[in-house]
Amino acid sequence: MTRLVVVGNGMVGSRFVEDLLAADTSGRYDITVVGAEACEPYNRVLLSEVVAGKHDLSALTLPTPTSPRLTVLRGAPVSHLDREDRVVVTTDGARLRYDRLVLATGSAARVPPLPGLRSAAPVDRDDPFPSDDLTAGVHALRTIDDAREVVAATLNATRAVVLGAGVLGMEAACGLARRGVAVTVVHPASTLMERQLDAEAGRVVELAMARLGIDQRVGVGATSAVVEGGRLTGLRLDDGELVPTDLLVLATGTVPSTTLAASAGLGVDRGVVVDDDLRSPDDHRIFAIGDCAQPPEGGTGLVAQGWEQSRRLAAHLCRDSSTSGNPSRTVSTDLARRSSTSGSDVVRLKAHGLDVVTMGVCGSARTDDPAQRTLRLSDPDVGRHVEVVVSGGQLVGATCVGAGAVAADLVTTYTRRTPVPADPAYLLLPALVPHQGLGPSSPADLADDTAVCRCNGVTKAGITACVRDGATSVAEVAAATRATTGCGGCHDDVCALLDWLVPVTSPEGAGTGENHVTKGKHMIHSTETAGS
Amino acid sequence: MTTTSTSTVRADSVATHCPYCALQCAQTLTANPGVDGANGVIVEGRAFPTNRGGLCQKGWTSAEVLTSPDRLTSPLVRGVDGELAPSSWEDALDLVADRLLAIRRDSGPDAVAVFGGGGLTNEKAYQLGKFARVALGTANIDYNGRFCMSSAAAAANRSLGVDRGLPFPLTDLASADAVLLLGSNLAETMPPSVAHLAGVRGRGGLVVVDPRRSATADLAADGQGLHLQPVPGTDLVVLLALQHVLLTDGLVDADYLERRTNGLEDVKRRSALWWPERAEQVCGVPADLLRDTARLLAAASPSRGGTGAFVLTGRGVEQSRQGTATVSAAITLSLLLGLPGRVGSGYGAVTGQGNGQGGREHGQKADQLPGYRMIDDPAARAHVAAVWGVSPESLPGKGMPAVELLASLGTADGPRALLVHGSNVLVSAPNVHRVADRLAALDLLVVCDFVPSETALLADVVLPVTQWAEEEGTMTSLEGRVIRRRKAVEPPAGARSELWVWAQLAARLGAAGTWDTEPSLVFDELARASRGGRADYSGLSHARLDGDEALHWPCPATGDGEPNHPGTPRLFAESFPTPDGRARMVAVDHLGPADDLRPDAPLYLVTGRVLQHYQSGAQTRRVPALAGAVPGAFAEVHPLLAARIGIADGERVRLTTARGSLAVPARVTDSIRPDTVFVPFHWAGTGSVNRLTTDATDPVSGMPEFKVCAVDVTAARVQPAGSARPTAGVPA
Repeated sequence: MTRLVVVGNGMVGSRFVEDLLAADTSGRYDITVVGAEACEPYNRVLLSEVVAGKHDLSALTLPTPTSPRLTVLRGAPVSHLDREDRVVVTTDGARLRYDRLVLATGSAARVPPLPGLRSAAPVDRDDPFPSDDLTAGVHALRTIDDAREVVAATLNATRAVVLGAGVLGMEAACGLARRGVAVTVVHPASTLMERQLDAEAGRVVELAMARLGIDQRVGVGATSAVVEGGRLTGLRLDDGELVPTDLLVLATGTVPSTTLAASAGLGVDRGVVVDDDLRSPDDHRIFAIGDCAQPPEGGTGLVAQGWEQSRRLAAHLCRDSSTSGNPSRTVSTDLARRSSTSGSDVVRLKAHGLDVVTMGVCGSARTDDPAQRTLRLSDPDVGRHVEVVVSGGQLVGATCVGAGAVAADLVTTYTRRTPVPADPAYLLLPALVPHQGLGPSSPADLADDTAVCRCNGVTKAGITACVRDGATSVAEVAAATRATTGCGGCHDDVCALLDWLVPVTSPEGAGTGENHVTKGKHMIHSTETAGS
Repeated sequence: MTTTSTSTVRADSVATHCPYCALQCAQTLTANPGVDGANGVIVEGRAFPTNRGGLCQKGWTSAEVLTSPDRLTSPLVRGVDGELAPSSWEDALDLVADRLLAIRRDSGPDAVAVFGGGGLTNEKAYQLGKFARVALGTANIDYNGRFCMSSAAAAANRSLGVDRGLPFPLTDLASADAVLLLGSNLAETMPPSVAHLAGVRGRGGLVVVDPRRSATADLAADGQGLHLQPVPGTDLVVLLALQHVLLTDGLVDADYLERRTNGLEDVKRRSALWWPERAEQVCGVPADLLRDTARLLAAASPSRGGTGAFVLTGRGVEQSRQGTATVSAAITLSLLLGLPGRVGSGYGAVTGQGNGQGGREHGQKADQLPGYRMIDDPAARAHVAAVWGVSPESLPGKGMPAVELLASLGTADGPRALLVHGSNVLVSAPNVHRVADRLAALDLLVVCDFVPSETALLADVVLPVTQWAEEEGTMTSLEGRVIRRRKAVEPPAGARSELWVWAQLAARLGAAGTWDTEPSLVFDELARASRGGRADYSGLSHARLDGDEALHWPCPATGDGEPNHPGTPRLFAESFPTPDGRARMVAVDHLGPADDLRPDAPLYLVTGRVLQHYQSGAQTRRVPALAGAVPGAFAEVHPLLAARIGIADGERVRLTTARGSLAVPARVTDSIRPDTVFVPFHWAGTGSVNRLTTDATDPVSGMPEFKVCAVDVTAARVQPAGSARPTAGVPA
């Protein structure tokens, strides 16, 4: 039995445990997962929905696998890692020996070094929860407690400032606005969501934000938080403006939680450095996944990447039959990695009234690649902006603002690498058009080969011929062609055709019996059909 | 309804039902001998709750199969020259019995396998299961319903405790405010049923989930509902996102969940992973449309003041390696809304084959005995063995499900002989290249059919049997109603009922028990065998079914002097037939297709039906009007894909998957996703899309993943000499 310890019981850690249990069909691993938070794992991605008042907290709880091979320790922060003895030590002194160790410690909210944000100084940079000591009225939005506190604060706050307009900041701003709070977004970069949006797309989003009643200070940084009587009262900007506020939400990025790895001597850059197999080059027994990891392609901070890594590592750990691990045998090819990680960088804003989706090549992160072709649909007056980047017959990037269904189509094209149209301009509009109803309003405009009765394959030409042969009523048409005798849905259409055909082809008064066709009779038939 | 229907039948006419799909449209047949003495029949629609007198083109032309020019009228035996030649019944039956005995002696009883069909009458389905277990003693019997209803059946059994396709009459749909149709194209597959959607369409509540803008999806156009057009193979994601919205927005029926269900906590956690924006990235359905759909369904549900809502699944979502999971999610959705067991609401699976419902109840499934009993249940074995007059120990155990069974034929440990009844596996099974290889490896293939189907043409012995208008029996329709099939004409000389064939073979094999050939007597035995089972027919008989009642199972026998049980049109009013009486919500997750896109197969292939054809087409391809309307397979291709590969409407495209290749004309249409092509599956040989489909199966139900695989699509202007790898013995 191989002892495997997972540090971190968040979205990626808990998912990895599930993936590993599913992949480990031979029961090779004895798994222990330790998590700092006392609660069950929850869906952090939806915290902004909680702020928006769309979800309650109980809807966030994630699946918790159970297995005789699994031990879960919650509320058990890890104090240090002893690689010599292969032991993880928790703050309450438990020692967990491992043969394989998976770090899924995630990341913490970054608190910018502004005067007034923290109630106590100096700041302990190694504190895994750096938002604990924030000034009253200042909140991060990273944990379930943060979300609970922000929601509680909105009960009294009438004004709020969101610092940072990345994905989380935008969602938080829209969510707070939805709660009726007057929101100002402060963003030091020159474009909202500048990692995802270029200047033009950013301007369209600014207009959309304004329509939602959200004030914006873009290209302006903050210099200090103004605190009175221990409580936040405003935010001072670097152009000298004072924005009064009761509530400040920090959405200024995250910092990978790497303290444990760094103090154990593992290579740490922005995150824990890992190779294509998600393994630390410094210790072949240790892996890192999710926000705390820094794979060769870089971390995106998106959960899709962490889940993809989780699935990949679980498969890898169960495929590798060598218990000692031989790095030279298990390194994935670059191609395989690129293909398996494709599409995990799609950014989709969850914000009421704001429709932004980006993927691949977009925003500030683009290079001048001559093989790339960029096409744009710019429609700022209605808040629409669509850009696609195509290379080698594939979609390699897209920016969608207010694009509706086009964005969903582009995501599937991008993530599944389906071929793009010969003229990629077609990507800018929906390929799937809604059904246009019956089309021509007059029977005269219908093409002869139009199927009038689908159930029995009767075309307009077939009914025309039938009338030419003397039929004057629906019943006669039905007897001759079987039109209307399936689902009956074409009854009105056949009536309309008869009204159009019969006066021309049949002299008035030719029929006086039960089946004589008049407009009024058709109307009665139609009513019966509709009401039955 | 039935009172008036019987009174409108002329003295020389019989009231019966269409030979094709599970809607079982009521027909009146009047014998009309042709000038040459052929058995012509005049077909008319007959008023009945399900079809309201309507018939589609298949139904209207159904009598033409009776007089098909190549109708089988004599047993055929493959001679030393390799050709099938006419034989007498005596010789053919002796030959089959001798070979079966020899194979059983040499290799044991499981070396003989049986493959049945969902088109067989209840009497035949029952007798075939008994013939396999008693006369052959083999565990290896399964049927083409494995390709049809097995995922829906598995999911319904584990969540609701019973599998009756629609646990309510079809007419209940009329009053609903919402109907969610997942993977069902009933406007093509059972057209007269569309009339039941008029009400919900008028209220804007028809929601169709289909990668194609099918004829059924068109019914939701112009404000009559919504069409969700997901990426193939991702219907489960749509359902999980709908669950997510209902749960997070507080739109569920909390009181119902508390009183009538288990499993909410797990379902809640699993769906927490599928917020609409994430679901959109996987299934391609815009998040707002997912939210709108969930809210439409919630508003229609009784707990929120609606008139009712239905969730219905079809093969489109079930023929998948996650088909059981997908149906489980659909059932869970309906339970979250509080639908099952409420009049005017519910969950149902739209059964496909004519007797797809009855065919799965009476013992032709690998793991079942009559009455929808499980073959590994000692009490069930004892009850059925007593009816059959054999010892419970003599009954075999579970056999292999269809795909596994077909894959094992002629292998070292697999069956050496196969008897096929009411099925055309060479066309209808997935990955038919492999099926052809396995059939060729058998020592003995015996096929009973009324026309020389592609499978029959490969057989060592072909036995000509009666069909539809030439026989008496019962069918169980999509709504669990047991109905009578009646004889209108004499079968052609030489054709025999399969009941007679099995009685003859049973005698030659020295089988115990009785082998009635009279359908009403076989039904009476079936009724006794089903007594106390989930599908209890013990209160039914041909005589009772000939009356005016609408009888849905379960319909148990009652004691002497007690009134008859009235049947059960609606299930679950009080409780679910699970051990604790509660429905079980099963938490499931999305896995995706087994054969997903890759650089050399960057598009999805989906398969399905056209209105004019039924199943493998063995019947409908023999009707000139139907064959003329849709003469062969084609590929629906989006204009953007057509432009990219440089083809115009009507030009041929070549489709290539990991298993085979096919060249068919393109139908260029904007009703399909640009990343997907659709090919109907009713044709054989070089027109058979099942040369391309994958035989990956659902781990719970054994259902093959017909509905999605990865394909490459190119222009096929230059015709290669052979369009696919050669397949020995397959007729072109």
